[in-house]
Amino acid sequence: MTRKDKSTRFPSPDLVRAVLKGHSGLGIAFAAILYLVCLTGTVAVFLNEFQRWENPDLPRMESFSGEAAQAAYLAAMARSRAPVEHVFVRMPQDDRPWPMVRIDAEDGQRTTWAADADGRLVPMRQGWTEFLARLHINLHLPQSWGIFIVGLTGVALLSSLISGLLAHPRIFRDAFHLRLGGARRLQEADLHNRIGVWALPFHVTVSLTGALLGLSAIIIGALGLAVFQGDTAKVYALFTPPHPVEDVRPAAPIDLRPAFAKIARQVPDGRIRYLAIEHPEEQGAAVMFEMEDGSSRLTNADTYAFDRAGTLYYVQKAANNNVGQQILGSLGLLHFGWFGGGTIKIAYALLGLGLTYLAAGGVNIWLARRRDKGRAAPGWERVWAATVWGQPLALCGAAFAALFTRSITIPIWAWGAISLATLGMAGILAVTTISRSLRLATGMALVALAAAHFMIFGAGDGMALVVDGGLVLTGLFLLATLAGSLSLSGRKALLG
Amino acid sequence: MTLVQPLLAATIIFAGGLAGAWLLRRAWRERSDKMRWRASGWAVIAGSVIWPAWLVDGARGLFFAATLIPLAALVLIASGYTLRPARAARKAREGLAPEPAERSPSSWRTILRWSLAGPVGMIAAMAVGISYVVWAPGEAQTRLLIGGLIVPVAWGGAMAWTLADSRILRATAVLVGTALLGFGAAVLRGFA
Repeated sequence: MTRKDKSTRFPSPDLVRAVLKGHSGLGIAFAAILYLVCLTGTVAVFLNEFQRWENPDLPRMESFSGEAAQAAYLAAMARSRAPVEHVFVRMPQDDRPWPMVRIDAEDGQRTTWAADADGRLVPMRQGWTEFLARLHINLHLPQSWGIFIVGLTGVALLSSLISGLLAHPRIFRDAFHLRLGGARRLQEADLHNRIGVWALPFHVTVSLTGALLGLSAIIIGALGLAVFQGDTAKVYALFTPPHPVEDVRPAAPIDLRPAFAKIARQVPDGRIRYLAIEHPEEQGAAVMFEMEDGSSRLTNADTYAFDRAGTLYYVQKAANNNVGQQILGSLGLLHFGWFGGGTIKIAYALLGLGLTYLAAGGVNIWLARRRDKGRAAPGWERVWAATVWGQPLALCGAAFAALFTRSITIPIWAWGAISLATLGMAGILAVTTISRSLRLATGMALVALAAAHFMIFGAGDGMALVVDGGLVLTGLFLLATLAGSLSLSGRKALLG
Repeated sequence: MTLVQPLLAATIIFAGGLAGAWLLRRAWRERSDKMRWRASGWAVIAGSVIWPAWLVDGARGLFFAATLIPLAALVLIASGYTLRPARAARKAREGLAPEPAERSPSSWRTILRWSLAGPVGMIAAMAVGISYVVWAPGEAQTRLLIGGLIVPVAWGGAMAWTLADSRILRATAVLVGTALLGFGAAVLRGFA
């Protein structure tokens, strides 16, 4: 067999060089946001576990009765200072064993409580989990802008995956190489390429679902403009249960008990996931139940909607969902890794860490390449080291702050202050000092966070202990990498 | 779904991923008879995707596999790492992958290139997605979701292309043409 001529081989060397230029430019343009979104996404896989960690003393239960749901929702309504638009009651589930009641008031205020088995409201801590979720979803920027920027980051990630594949002519030749030590650029490139190629299905899944979730508002807006004369409500109406006849006359809060009784007769073995109450104080009020159908399908929630009189006016069975409804129902599950229990969550966290490394390592390769060519950028090297190793410490600081307050504001300030302080280190310290000192600080902070949590909240929930253990192990691992890098430097000195 | 089913499926998929990756690495290392090992590797991976998918439902099982097989392969690769001495650094640097193309600096080309990758690419991708939504057959919800998925993929593709292509006017013409055609076709037909 004759070897293919270089000029006819795909991808040609010129194409590879051109695509590499674009890949590099895009990666650098989005580096910091990509890194932050990937890092927070990795931690957010365990959002429910962290919610239990924040609230180890909340009453735990397996089910929540209709009577209790009625009492809890009425109590929540009574505490609202503005008219209430919607109420959501989320039932206890395996990884969050207590019910939650949320009210959305007309003035835009959203308030959430837990409830005990009798429906009495119990305040819950959400400072850390809310901080983390909002940082991942909208970077704590104004909602619509923040979500769009994160969606755009998902598109940039998808684009980088496409260009990364095209710019990798040795994809098969190097498929199993992992050469550590020696030239830093080669080591970084091997890690970058192996993680990028072998975990491609995961990278595509999270970036595509993330991009769609982030861009959904703008896509729906464009669609409404192009084909519904600007009426986006018509697009949403295709996916949500219809409302009963519009009747805005005031009324007493809707009674949920007849609907609970009917749903128990209709689906005796069904498990309610949540219920949404629409305009509870209007004559046209409605309540929608989402029920697990007992199957192992990815989207297995049936929908039942009742009007004020307790009449069932809409049913949508998960088994009859079309492909579009199935995709919509699975987007969040696939994005956060919430579709296969603890095993999949751990796998998602490990692969998420790999994706985070791709974002960080890509810039390291660019910086090493500049250094090799005699155009080193020591300022950017310091800034990047401060960003990469400063963010875990800043997140840790936010979690620490949340131990002492129920508010989300203090964790945001703590995160912002630590981020700025670590970036400030770039102005005065060398790269190695920044990297080592921040790793040391993060490792110690994680251990201290677990210890402080245990001392303040005790061991009321086994999951809180598991999370504390996980924090300690992660902290010790970081400290061990520090010791490892010190011994590797010693070994390198001996070898060479 | 019981707790045992996903755990069992996860174990089988992970073990299958490890075995499949090991066979593929064997093919990669062999000087001859690569085909046999390669075929066996892909067969084991395909098996690990298909039958656990049946055990925990099609779509859920497929995404179990998409998560666990890559993880298994990465574990295998990590287990086979090699440590290079520092003196190999210079030689290794010389044998590295190609360098990115050098372009003569031009601010208007840079602005145009990033405009194409950003807003123009987004509008063109929206046009493709929306024209799919209005023209493709099938249920309204399915067309909307698939059209929605097309938007980030098409935008990402446009981004990768425009940032790489040195013929920037050609890229401009194609993206603007796509946007005009796509939106024109969508408005012409309307949503049925």
